[in-house]
Amino acid sequence: MWDFISKYGLIALLVAFPLTYAIIDVAGGEGLSRIGNNLVAGLSNGAIWALIALGYTLVYGIIELINFAHGEVFMIGSFTAFALYSVLGLTLVTGPLGLVLGLLVVLVLSMLVSGSLNVMIERVAYRPLRGAPKLAPLITAVGVSFILQNVGILWFGSSQKGIPDLIRAQQELFNIGGVEVSRADVLAVVVTIPLVYLLTAFVNRSRLGKAMRATAQDPEAARLMGINVDTTISVTFLLGGLLAGAAGLIYALYQTNVWYFQGFTAGLIAFTAAVMGGIGNLRGAVLGGLIIGIIQQISDNRIGNEWTPAVVFAYLVLIMVFRPQGLIGEETREAG
Amino acid sequence: MAMLEVSDIHTFYGNIEALKGVSLEVEEGEIVTLIGSNGAGKSTTLRSISGLSPPREGSIRFEGNEIGETPPQAIVQLGISQSPEGRKCFQRMTVRENLELGAYLRRDTSQIRDDLARVYDLFPRLEERERQKAGTMSGGEQQMLAIGRALMAQPRLLLLDEPSMGIAPVLVERIYETIEEINRQGTTILLVEQNANFALGVSKRGYVLETGRVALSDDSSALRDNPDVQKAYLGG
Amino acid sequence: MSKLAELRNARWAPWMPAIIAVVAVALFPLFRPPLDATMSDVIQALAYVVMALGLNIVVGFAGLLDLGYVAFYAFGALAAGWFASDHFSKVNGGEGVHIGVSDFVQTAFPQGIHVSFLLIVIGAILVTALAGAVIGLPTLRLRGDYIAIVTLAFGEIISRFAANGDSVIIKGYALSNGRESISPIDQLNLPLVGEFDSATNLRFYFWTALALVLVVLFVNFRVRDSRLGRAWIALREDEVAAASMGVPLVRTKLTAYAIGATFGGIAGAFLGVYNNSVNANQFQFGISIFLLSMVILGGLGSIWGVVIGATLLSFVNTFLIPDVLDKGSFNDLLSNVGLDFTFGEVKFGVFGFILVLMMVLRPQGLLPERRRTAELTQGVGGDEAIVETRA
Repeated sequence: MWDFISKYGLIALLVAFPLTYAIIDVAGGEGLSRIGNNLVAGLSNGAIWALIALGYTLVYGIIELINFAHGEVFMIGSFTAFALYSVLGLTLVTGPLGLVLGLLVVLVLSMLVSGSLNVMIERVAYRPLRGAPKLAPLITAVGVSFILQNVGILWFGSSQKGIPDLIRAQQELFNIGGVEVSRADVLAVVVTIPLVYLLTAFVNRSRLGKAMRATAQDPEAARLMGINVDTTISVTFLLGGLLAGAAGLIYALYQTNVWYFQGFTAGLIAFTAAVMGGIGNLRGAVLGGLIIGIIQQISDNRIGNEWTPAVVFAYLVLIMVFRPQGLIGEETREAG
Repeated sequence: MAMLEVSDIHTFYGNIEALKGVSLEVEEGEIVTLIGSNGAGKSTTLRSISGLSPPREGSIRFEGNEIGETPPQAIVQLGISQSPEGRKCFQRMTVRENLELGAYLRRDTSQIRDDLARVYDLFPRLEERERQKAGTMSGGEQQMLAIGRALMAQPRLLLLDEPSMGIAPVLVERIYETIEEINRQGTTILLVEQNANFALGVSKRGYVLETGRVALSDDSSALRDNPDVQKAYLGG
Repeated sequence: MSKLAELRNARWAPWMPAIIAVVAVALFPLFRPPLDATMSDVIQALAYVVMALGLNIVVGFAGLLDLGYVAFYAFGALAAGWFASDHFSKVNGGEGVHIGVSDFVQTAFPQGIHVSFLLIVIGAILVTALAGAVIGLPTLRLRGDYIAIVTLAFGEIISRFAANGDSVIIKGYALSNGRESISPIDQLNLPLVGEFDSATNLRFYFWTALALVLVVLFVNFRVRDSRLGRAWIALREDEVAAASMGVPLVRTKLTAYAIGATFGGIAGAFLGVYNNSVNANQFQFGISIFLLSMVILGGLGSIWGVVIGATLLSFVNTFLIPDVLDKGSFNDLLSNVGLDFTFGEVKFGVFGFILVLMMVLRPQGLLPERRRTAELTQGVGGDEAIVETRA
């Protein structure tokens, strides 16, 4: 009974937000184009959150730990992407073919850097603490997060750093009834959809994917199947990091700036998305990411972006209290 | 040389010594049972053999190789698989997925298919529920699934941890008949049970474990006739 | 028995090192000029000790990872900002409210609410205790890692309200001055002692800070050895077992949050007054982490350990980094090797590194609480019942 109430209550609370503004717009004679633009921008933001949220949910699903440093892995992905612009000679005057090929290379490399970083974090900060009380790896995660933020400061300074708008992100690509769809929006979709598809296929159909699912449900039973749980965990961190790296590039191209602190806020927002969808659940992470993206965009646009974190975190607290399993949620680990 | 030789192992949980020098042997082709009350160390023994709780002292040799420090996944590779305490089926996966996971280390696809058929032959109930999620099945069905899953690894030594726990007696009989059949088909079995009746009925030899030590070791028929054993474990 | 042996066996003997240390610290200002950078550093450290001890109650005693502790500091500081300045300038028809303040303040600052420091501290205690309970409320049914996130989220929400406070107008008053300071704040004014003046003499602030630390230490020791303290330990080690032994979970947890929070409030109020300004930039998540590293370094749940950890890290922050490591010669040395950064820039990375290092190498901290050592090194207790009875 409560399950029903909390689920639809949450949905209602989520829908109410854009709906309220839609009604305000229409009542004010503005029509639906503004809210439509909000939705479109929200979905492309949401793609970034979805990619990062998948990283949180994959790791939480398998070892029941919040990878607190995951936001910073995303930030390093952005930083790497930007650094690679100059290495590859990508500038505002690079031709379209060169740009596409160059960005593809940047995508792969940023993903690899973030992926390896995430694997390293697990080896150094989490694995030694496997048997310790849950407080310990959480604290270490916070520590790693701070170390990485500092790496960011040393790399590109402590203020936001504008970077070249390589793809003319805000340029409108096409228009549907007054609603603009920009290049950045299309980019977000074009990169995210294949990645999510590949990830889902991998997890559901590959041998390692089966090992991941088995380990998530019962690590000891997984060992009894001959699964190397340590390797499986590392692979999980790798996948999460790869996605965060991709998100980092999209973010860099979309926002045209990078900042050492972007991972902290992004991390919390993406984590909210993961929890909203249902932690441990891949579809949930994607759904949550898109929803949070919309909420975030509307908040930025209507209330002011200095308040947006407060809005998102308020949703987070509400979810944690009233429906911690999120929208689609399921238990991550059963007893026996 | 016996197939499995456990020599004087001491296994700890943190600072608590659960096994205080356990030794046993299993010859190829046998069914050997380990009985004892709750907390005696029966499951711990199986966990030590499977590498989940490696012993701090002592040795475990399988087909001549020392496996006391081998990681669990390698032990499966060597030919030992276990249907663990509490069954531990992957609740959100189907019967078929569970069974296929049993064959995780194997690459011989056609042989795997044959073995799957064999498991369905032994446990027709599982074939009926092939696409059902393990978590929705009864205790008895999950027990069959756990045993079938362990068989999918093509083990030479099969470890069974309390297959009768929490299962209706009629079903237990059926499971034990199947255990005998599995043994007849060539798999060596080390069986841990609290329910000594069934265990001693199906096995050739038995060990009685008490607070981490082997208290008695004999042929199962002798154990069944032993008045102390009868009083403590056979309700007599 | 010899005199020395007699002394050693006296009941208060274990307290001797602490008593000597406290006396030494108390006498310290008499050996320094009234306006002294080192004294200033020590005052700052004492304030951090108070806050770290507060966090220690929540994280160390009760085992609830609160990552939003800076919120309580914010409440305390804002209490000072609201009730010891001209912020509420239109109150009382422009006449202001003055309670227990010096004549100087009454004449120089006729507007706004100006209230005696003791009252501010009491107010801060009440507000933060309530805030602590409110923040703790949603976490009651949550697991450890979720508690961390929820408290962090709360901390950020409150921090946002403080930072954007200049645009939150209620009845004509802004919540805060946003990223600009509420300033000036009245000087400390204690009954019988009169008003301090931080521009000329830091000594009285020093002794006030020390007095706060002593009060807080007293509360800590009493609470730790009380039934409540034992309930917290039971809660920390195994919540389920604690509940089955009759520990009232809700009340025990909320009390931990509330009491822990009050220390943050007290320190916040003090620092607001001492720094003569209250500013949202002071309420960053980094402070929560800074405090956490103090507690971890000193030893989770260990009162003296946390005092040491807080003092050490505070000095690293206010002295070692700016005055030693970033000073001329050492800095030149680093640049010669090609490392072009100041330690001030990597400060938080270093604190993060301390966290990682401590948890991996010595999770029980520098001066461990005895129980904690057993829990962390031998795997006894903890959240999972590792010791199950297996057949």
